[in-house]
Amino acid sequence: MLPFSVQFRPGVPAYEQVVRAAQRAIATGRLRGGEPFPSVRAMSREFSLTPNTCQKAVTALVNAGLLEVRPGVGTMVAMLPASDPATATSELRERIDQLVIEARQRGIPLETLSRSLAQAWNDLEPNESDE
Amino acid sequence: MSDAILTENLSKRFWRGTTAVAGLTLRVPEGTVCALVGPNGAGKSTALKILLNLIQPTGEEARLLGRDSTKLGARDFQEIGYVSEDQRLPLWMTPRQYLDFLRPFYPKWDEGFREKMSGLLDLDLTRRLKQCSRGMRMKAALLAATAFRPRLLILDEPFSGLDPLVREQFLQGLLELTQEEGWTILLSSHDMEELERIADTVAFLDTSHLLLHEPVDALLERFRRVEVPLVPDHAGARNLPATWLEFREGNGFAHFVDAAWSPEAFAQGLRAIGADPAQAQCVRLSLREIFVVLAKQSQRDRGA
Repeated sequence: MLPFSVQFRPGVPAYEQVVRAAQRAIATGRLRGGEPFPSVRAMSREFSLTPNTCQKAVTALVNAGLLEVRPGVGTMVAMLPASDPATATSELRERIDQLVIEARQRGIPLETLSRSLAQAWNDLEPNESDE
Repeated sequence: MSDAILTENLSKRFWRGTTAVAGLTLRVPEGTVCALVGPNGAGKSTALKILLNLIQPTGEEARLLGRDSTKLGARDFQEIGYVSEDQRLPLWMTPRQYLDFLRPFYPKWDEGFREKMSGLLDLDLTRRLKQCSRGMRMKAALLAATAFRPRLLILDEPFSGLDPLVREQFLQGLLELTQEEGWTILLSSHDMEELERIADTVAFLDTSHLLLHEPVDALLERFRRVEVPLVPDHAGARNLPATWLEFREGNGFAHFVDAAWSPEAFAQGLRAIGADPAQAQCVRLSLREIFVVLAKQSQRDRGA
């Protein structure tokens, strides 16, 4: 069994869907820093994707700094440095602005937006989303 | 990486003057899965048959695994597996008898690999092919075409007429082959959902011509279905970018498919017709939807 699963839907490149599922697994702590990441071969079998597609997902995750390739050992989940909350929040600021602008354009009140945010936040809680 | 398939300006004109394939230039690098798609009668099967030296091209040449396709012989077919759409099988045999019959022709036949594939495909080897369903026959044909670990596997419509379970097993079988060293798969199919999962590149053939050949990911990335509110008295649908397909207006909205979507070019195009990019809804298209858009466009281009 792999530490994460993917519900594939048409229209989004398959490797991107694998990347998102892995990001989610790392964000929820289902995959922790220092743990081995599934091999290309294992993912290819489990997800019915070609090795090329799975390799592309791994490369994207390595480039994003979420995985590290250790020669002779394999691919590991990277140990992320505990980020300074102030810097992290300012990095997200631009995306939050964009979200707020879009919400206002579509006439979504702050209350509804906050509820959606809280919902998305809770959906990621590991205990609740564990299958 | 060397090319498993390389054709340059490949053509086939039948003696009555019908052109089945016109100037096909296609490159399939080793270790990739290429899907040949296109409407019925587009020339897909003919193209595959030329590659396999089953019919002779009338123009230019094709190279498979580095060899001229018109000179492919028994030795080459020890490295090339082929399953045709209406694969003929000896119906009086069981799959086991058929495989035992084929084995001596292939020095690289791998019984262990064959065993693994039979398991993945879940095929009863002891029932006469005559009594087998289409799905079981296709599985037997796939086994026969892969048990010798071909470097190149060519499949014509492998999924047609298979139920979802058999499709999944068939897909697993193909993926097993991709775990091998130095494999390449070229398959023609209409089953876009399967292709979206398994194909690295898509080659779109229509009325004998190759319209495009590009990575599936890139194709999915550049198409967006767009809906955007128009301001009254806007500049109108004149001088639209050529990549905006199926453009229509209604109820104060413009609807179209952007075939070369990028955030910048898109925003620029919208501003030119007096629409606000921030209010546009962009949705990705599945490979199936892209296929329909391209086929319609190609039909329109021919009509014009």
